[in-house]
Amino acid sequence: MKLPRHILPFAFIAPAILFLAALLLWPLGQAVVLSLQDVRSVGMPGRWVGLENYAEVLTDGDFWSASWLSLLWVVTNAVLQTVLALVAALALNQNFPGVRIARTWIVLTWIIPTVVVVMIWRWLFSTSGGIVNPLLMQSGLTDAPVGFFARPGTAFATLVFINSWRWFPFITLMMLAGLTRIPGDLFEAARIDGAGPWKRFSRITWPLLAPTLGVLLVIGTLLSFNVFDIIWLLTAGGPADGTRTLPVLIYETAFKSYRMSEAAAVAVLATVFLMGFALIATRWLARPPEAR
Amino acid sequence: MKRPLRWNIALGVVLLLLAALVLAPFWFVLTGSVKDPAEIIARLPTMIPDNFTLQHYTKLLAASDYPIYMLNSLLVATASTLVTLGLAIPAGYAFFRMSFRGRETLYRAILLAYAFPSIVILIPLFGIFAKLGLVDSRLALVLVNVAFALPFAIWLLRSFFAGIPVEIEEAARLDGGAPFTVLRRIMIPLVAPGIAAVAVFAFVTAWTEYVFASVLILSDDKRPVPVGFSGIIGQYQIDWGLLLAGASLSILPVVILFAFVGRWFVAGLTEGAVK
Repeated sequence: MKLPRHILPFAFIAPAILFLAALLLWPLGQAVVLSLQDVRSVGMPGRWVGLENYAEVLTDGDFWSASWLSLLWVVTNAVLQTVLALVAALALNQNFPGVRIARTWIVLTWIIPTVVVVMIWRWLFSTSGGIVNPLLMQSGLTDAPVGFFARPGTAFATLVFINSWRWFPFITLMMLAGLTRIPGDLFEAARIDGAGPWKRFSRITWPLLAPTLGVLLVIGTLLSFNVFDIIWLLTAGGPADGTRTLPVLIYETAFKSYRMSEAAAVAVLATVFLMGFALIATRWLARPPEAR
Repeated sequence: MKRPLRWNIALGVVLLLLAALVLAPFWFVLTGSVKDPAEIIARLPTMIPDNFTLQHYTKLLAASDYPIYMLNSLLVATASTLVTLGLAIPAGYAFFRMSFRGRETLYRAILLAYAFPSIVILIPLFGIFAKLGLVDSRLALVLVNVAFALPFAIWLLRSFFAGIPVEIEEAARLDGGAPFTVLRRIMIPLVAPGIAAVAVFAFVTAWTEYVFASVLILSDDKRPVPVGFSGIIGQYQIDWGLLLAGASLSILPVVILFAFVGRWFVAGLTEGAVK
């Protein structure tokens, strides 16, 4: 069988596209439909209510506090992840014995199930046993165990740390890509001209790495926004809703309160935010640096 | 390039901190899983276990459904990996080796899959799967995992396909190879490292997925490790030994896989990313 030349590429691509359309695009459309209806349980025919669910969600304080927490979550994670990844990538970009092993195994935190990540840190931060509290008390920083998940502020900060710990190695590898693409001759020439390490970093590495950092901040933002399992398994949005970001709110509304349509409305709003952010960010990144 | 001594010291310190940050938690989990219950919750944590015991592992394997969870996860993750490869390789080949109308648009549309919260589709997907009778089946998990891994898998293949000289392909085509034959005989062997990278990514995605599995799987004997494991956490609130043993075992398959093909995954990420 011989396919015409212009059809052929589509024959290769069609299975993947159809699969993604059926499993991502179609449900996404269903979510929009669901958000315009009043549905009590999954599978039951709904009643059209127009934008009623949106009106309800947008006038609800829970939605706005979750949006605010999501924003805070995304920004703190993106910053912490990027800083950790930058330090790690700069170190792993050097030559030292064992650098190949270090580069391969740094992603260890990413290849294990989230449930295990959660269990590890719950144990390490635990007030009975664990490692962190005994260490803190030994070094005299505190005299009583710290309840890391007991108060909204510390719970939030602890979750940011755990999530960044989980994801920064992934970002590190992508950052290494940007670093390895900087030609070594540039550094050699700068050295001969008498530029010190700091000058070489600020005049060569940083400007050439900046576009990569921009892309990675966008990727980090998208990754962080979607994080649900770490939060759900460690604090379930608590204490006092201090860690209830938008994905947690969506899950709670749908599977604890069984208000499917409202959950869908929140989900659609979150999608609009995120897509809008992704579009603006990629446009901005695509522009030449001078125009920014 | 030679570094002055103080930069070597700085590098050494950073690398040590990095190693501690990434590895120390795993060290405490692995050693904790072979400690006596009393030693696990000792006020002063021990770096090296005083006593070596396999009691937690024996208990885990004999008294819980953990072996079944492991088997389920292995089945689901392997199937997800194979399906992802089957879809991503032809698509990647077409995207990065052939020119056609709408290529850029389609490619971007695929990457947009990363710009929506995956939890959005959980509710409708549950409804769709319920209609198809797929709820509480391992097939449902395979489908979901492939959907999550596929966009990034295609993206990962980019640099591997792009790196192949056009001449090789043209020569094969002049020799009369049909497109599918060229892909199978010439391209697939050449992008084998890229395929390994995609395989690692797809396997890890499936191995670690929790949320959809927790909603889509209802019966205990079909649970994958993450869901089954969180169930064990719930049942035995404070049996840390059991949990540490379970954690260690759940890390094992991905660590073994990564030991064999992990460097290709790393190469794929560091060479393919941010182009």
